[in-house]
Amino acid sequence: MISFYDVTLRDGNHALRHTLTPDFVREYCQIAEQSGVWAVEVGHGNGIGASSFLVGKAKTDDNSLLAAARESLNKVKLAIHAIPGFATIKRDLIPAIKSGVDIFRIGTHVTEVTTAQKHVEFLSAQNQTVHGVLMMSHAIDLKGLVSQAKLMASYGASAVVLMDSAGNYVPKDVVARVAALKQEIGVQVGFHAHNNLGVGVSNAISAIENDATIIDGSSMGLGAGAGNAPLESIIVNYRRMTGSAPPLDKFLEMSHLVEMKYPEFLPRTTSSSIQSGDAGVFSGFAPQVRQLAAEFGVSQEDLWQELGKRRLVAGQESMIREIAQDLMNL
Amino acid sequence: MRTLLSREVWPMSNDKIKVAVIGTGNIGTDLCERLLKDPKFEVLAFVGRRSTSSGLMRMSGRVPNLLDSGIESLEPLWAQLDGVFDATSASAHAEHWAIVQQHKRWIIDLTPSRIGKQLVPVLIDKSASMKISTENVANYSMITCGGQSSAALIYAITKHAKSVEEVEISSSIASLSAGPATRNNIDEYIDSTENMATLLTGCSAVKSILVLNPAEPPVMMRTTVHVRAANFDLVQILKETRDLVAKVKSYVPGYDLVVEPHVAGSGQISATVKVLGSGYYLPEYSGNLDIINAAAVETATQHVQANRLKDARIKS
Repeated sequence: MISFYDVTLRDGNHALRHTLTPDFVREYCQIAEQSGVWAVEVGHGNGIGASSFLVGKAKTDDNSLLAAARESLNKVKLAIHAIPGFATIKRDLIPAIKSGVDIFRIGTHVTEVTTAQKHVEFLSAQNQTVHGVLMMSHAIDLKGLVSQAKLMASYGASAVVLMDSAGNYVPKDVVARVAALKQEIGVQVGFHAHNNLGVGVSNAISAIENDATIIDGSSMGLGAGAGNAPLESIIVNYRRMTGSAPPLDKFLEMSHLVEMKYPEFLPRTTSSSIQSGDAGVFSGFAPQVRQLAAEFGVSQEDLWQELGKRRLVAGQESMIREIAQDLMNL
Repeated sequence: MRTLLSREVWPMSNDKIKVAVIGTGNIGTDLCERLLKDPKFEVLAFVGRRSTSSGLMRMSGRVPNLLDSGIESLEPLWAQLDGVFDATSASAHAEHWAIVQQHKRWIIDLTPSRIGKQLVPVLIDKSASMKISTENVANYSMITCGGQSSAALIYAITKHAKSVEEVEISSSIASLSAGPATRNNIDEYIDSTENMATLLTGCSAVKSILVLNPAEPPVMMRTTVHVRAANFDLVQILKETRDLVAKVKSYVPGYDLVVEPHVAGSGQISATVKVLGSGYYLPEYSGNLDIINAAAVETATQHVQANRLKDARIKS
């Protein structure tokens, strides 16, 4: 049994430059409620509490978005993503509990799981459902990945989700990593694809074939960089593979809503996304790279390459200016 | 006017500042190394909890009293001590402060306890919230690395801005430089840094962000300050920022302005500094730890200087 996890209203907020409105959230969630999706994640692109000059100011605060979603979701679970260092227990997680969030995903860069210990343990002690998210999960070797995932599980996470935040994986990477986690960690494994190299859906399918049980996707692939694996494509592939899947109609209705409402924001695989995916750089940097490459008169390709070399992680957006400045002065 | 005293005038008497360092972990050991190399200071004791700690063993033959029973073991030395540095933990600090008060001494708090008065040396007597105590008994909190590295920028930008609406501080540090205490107290780090920004600006819309980067070779610490306000005097901001950065550099040699204050959107100014560590004991990429220790030494110097000057005036 696969739990399909819809990140349109969270990762999609990256593509929308954090302009998501409560009205759209309400409208979308009304369809999602009928769709057979397991959970809908809502909030700022970098998770609740992340609205900032550094990674982008949200038009609407997380609590208002969560309230709008909560009104429309009943069977379907309401979920959030939160990153320690941006979000705190007091300022963000406690209010989210009060907003009636059902699933808490606590994410860290794949090597920094220890920063999430307090947050995961706190939620666990409050009897909340907590998932640990390993972001930029390509940026570590297999052994390191397993040990970080085990740490997440030891804090009380009931699932560990691998995020391919840079869209760097090809299907064989997904096979190796999901299979290793399934074997080693003893909690559910989830997978979150990005489509930088054009293999987002294939990667999601590989994760399913290797017994990942939580699969992320978004309508029309609305998400950071080249976007996520389109949820409607995952569903149709899953039906063709197994003969059983939630009916496609509501998923198509959701993707249609996104397509009609945000035609100019729909992500796609571009030369720039291929460069960033191949360099293993966080997809969410795309708007800054576009803007600063133009401002300093350097090529986007050079800038992506340099970001890859310096191994920037999400939250270092302010360094892109410094690096673009360095490239200009070369 | 202590700020006019040049460093060459020091010491005003031949008395060195006699101190003890409590806590023999990375921070305490680096602090001890730094104080041993500073002619203004004499380290009378290095205090840990285990006689076998590598920090204590390292100071063998270099610090006269290597003590392993915590602050109680300082008992016979209080008469000679001017003050102490606390590099232990937030929970232990409350107890240490109580004992230091009994002995009427000062303490510099390098833990995230938030008991002491938050102080950034470069802003002493500039910001109304940053003052040296006129009493010898004092507790100064060194806040956080984000707080120490951002304060000069926040002050310079907001001083020449009208109606400050939002202040944001984001720091990235090398993963290797973030020990278990930092990782466990990441929420407290955020609270404490934000509290400093509010104290400094009176603005309550403040946000602090901390990002750990695992890249090899390790990255240097960077802190970006972003301010939104009704309007700015960019020329004055640039002048003030360069001036303050130079002043911080006098006690944190690896502190540099890497992105000068610039307009970053309508009604917004942003600037970035980089902090390279001095490499006393901790590696150079630990600029985050270096700036806290450098601030602690500078604060102790300023405190003792001010209070000795006051005592000298009273005597004469």
